[in-house]
Amino acid sequence: MNSRSRYVWAYIMIAPTLLGTVLFWSWPAFYSIYLSFLKSENFGMVNHWVGLANYEKLFKDKEFWKNLGNTLYYMVLFVPLTLVFSTFFAVLLNAKIRGLSAYRVIFFLPQVTMPAAAAMVWVVLFARDYGFINYLLGTHVAWISDTRFAMFALVIVGVWGAIGLNMLLILAGLQGIPKALYEAASIDGAVRFRKFRYITLPLLTPTLFFTTIVLMIGATQVFDSIYLLIGKTNVALPEVRSLVYAYYQNSFVYYDQNYGAAIVDMLLVINLILTGLQFAFQKKWVTYD
Amino acid sequence: MAFRKKAWLSGVGMTVAAALALTGCGSNDSNGGNASSTTNNAAGGNAASASKENVTLTYTIWDQLQQPAMEAIGKEFTAENPNIKVKVEVIPWNDYWTKMSAAAPAGTLPDVFWMHSGQFVKYASGKFLEPITDKVQAGEINMDDYAANLGSIYQLDGQNYAIPKDFDTIGLAYNKELFDQAGVPYPDDTWDYAKLAEAAKQLSQPDKGIYGFAAKMDTQGGYWNDMLANGGSIISADGTKSGYDDPASIEALQARYQMILDKASPSHQQMTDTDSTEMFKSGKIAMIFEGDWRTTDIDGSDIIKGKWNWAPLPKGKAKRGDIINGLGNVMSASGKHKDEAWQFLKFLGSKRAAEITAQMGAAIPAFKDTQAAWVQSKPQLNLQVFIDQAADATPYPAGTKAYPVWFPKESEIMAQAWGGKISIEEGAKQVAAMMNQAIADNK
Repeated sequence: MNSRSRYVWAYIMIAPTLLGTVLFWSWPAFYSIYLSFLKSENFGMVNHWVGLANYEKLFKDKEFWKNLGNTLYYMVLFVPLTLVFSTFFAVLLNAKIRGLSAYRVIFFLPQVTMPAAAAMVWVVLFARDYGFINYLLGTHVAWISDTRFAMFALVIVGVWGAIGLNMLLILAGLQGIPKALYEAASIDGAVRFRKFRYITLPLLTPTLFFTTIVLMIGATQVFDSIYLLIGKTNVALPEVRSLVYAYYQNSFVYYDQNYGAAIVDMLLVINLILTGLQFAFQKKWVTYD
Repeated sequence: MAFRKKAWLSGVGMTVAAALALTGCGSNDSNGGNASSTTNNAAGGNAASASKENVTLTYTIWDQLQQPAMEAIGKEFTAENPNIKVKVEVIPWNDYWTKMSAAAPAGTLPDVFWMHSGQFVKYASGKFLEPITDKVQAGEINMDDYAANLGSIYQLDGQNYAIPKDFDTIGLAYNKELFDQAGVPYPDDTWDYAKLAEAAKQLSQPDKGIYGFAAKMDTQGGYWNDMLANGGSIISADGTKSGYDDPASIEALQARYQMILDKASPSHQQMTDTDSTEMFKSGKIAMIFEGDWRTTDIDGSDIIKGKWNWAPLPKGKAKRGDIINGLGNVMSASGKHKDEAWQFLKFLGSKRAAEITAQMGAAIPAFKDTQAAWVQSKPQLNLQVFIDQAADATPYPAGTKAYPVWFPKESEIMAQAWGGKISIEEGAKQVAAMMNQAIADNK
């Protein structure tokens, strides 16, 4: 085969994924940027070009800054907690114990549970008067409708749902670490914690790097738990409202797709910056062997 | 937990709607203009016999409780018109308008669907609904057949767009058992708001989690009735100014909120955890305002069945406040089978369809003199209060382009007041300012 027909074949092979990506991700993304410069009427059938007016409104909107703060606060709580718990369980499940696959399935279950169904259960667990969590802690807290606690309730549900997949990714990373290294360390007299600190953790950093990026992007897009757990008549909503929730409200509830588009475009910029920073700093802590 | 149930169904609906919205963006140019040209429906009257093509119409509604009745109507229609089948599709209220707003520009609105007075203007002015004016003028349908001038809700610029389906008013549901235990006489048409507040205190046992009244943060089924009864208003009669900052409105809102402070009602937080009507269904609330459409739902609770009844709303300083709203059946302007859709729409507006609606207890039919069958559908309950209150009720404050904008924001602001973050007066004033802005922006 000459090199040219090899290229052709390569493109044919990636075509289905590429088409899907362009059609369902890139095109809507560019379209939303276009939308943010318009003022639409009549469900988007009539459009006027308004330039940067939507962004002007956005930067002056106190609610936008509050929502941005909420989103970042959620991320700062959610990402480290998920990483720590996922790594912890992955290390435990990397051992040879009885019923290993059963445990792996149990920890992975939240991942395959429908978020909406899980949220219903969490609403009951968090309830103030008869909720199991208050019963367990001996408290009497309105977890999801008290402005002081609602964010923590969201983070708990978020972490619970995210552990499964990330644990699996980290577990795969763990199993890629050669056994010989541990044997050598044992001969040198290293104990368990030192092995974890000087072998496992450094060799796991590429996996952790990947999961951190994915988790951060995922955290900035938090929506369903707010929609399902908090709800629109909740007094705590302004304290937990994320950018994506604000986008949903503006686009689909207030019928202002243009302002909604401006919000998600800002989110896109924020995510690009966050990911860019990650790549810039990865030399400092990620070890590729 | 009905509210939460709806919420999770919404999760699924949202995804669909988002997908629709995205695909809709690309193809929004073709369906805009064709709606205004009223299609030639000279054959409309006997179209069913003219074309024998097999057609399935989609009829979309938002209330699952009414699905059996709507399907029964569809079946009877198919019996008369064997070539036209009707598929009833339910989209829960929380997602209904999200989905419709995506379907409208994409040209994929259902053939026939339920319309709400609050959303009507947006869809009619956008030419997404098929006008039925010529059919009304041709005498195919008589708008005088419907009670309380309901047909006028769905008129815009002299055009008719909907056939009235039903109407609804608000009543006071009460738990007889809790009244008996406290030795308080049942509510009747002599009650005023002072009596309601007094009885609510007598009936409350906060330590047992039992409350006399659910002072919920709700509009149509809540404080809008209070505001009207107290001489306030929701919006000025010409729709140009909010009535939330009227002192009489604020006083009514404060009186309702006072019942929470008096522990005669659960707190807003408690009612966020558990929907207040669900609390009533489990026997924890002695009195609650609700719409007649919740009758079947409430009566379906084993805990309260046989132990509750309806009474009229209490009288206020000015009058007995009550919101009346009527749903309409409309057809899409871009439907593929408009002749058949019109046949079905006409049947939905017929006396026979009203009778089925009434007998199955689905809703109060709009067709005159068919309401008695609805009242009789549950003889153990005093359903007559809803018919009696319709006479001097206030129409639902919709009918403007601004309504869909201010309505969702209203609940967000009022949630801050009901949750104790801002005062009731502050909340009401913020709502008024927001509404006036929305009215100015959407002239």
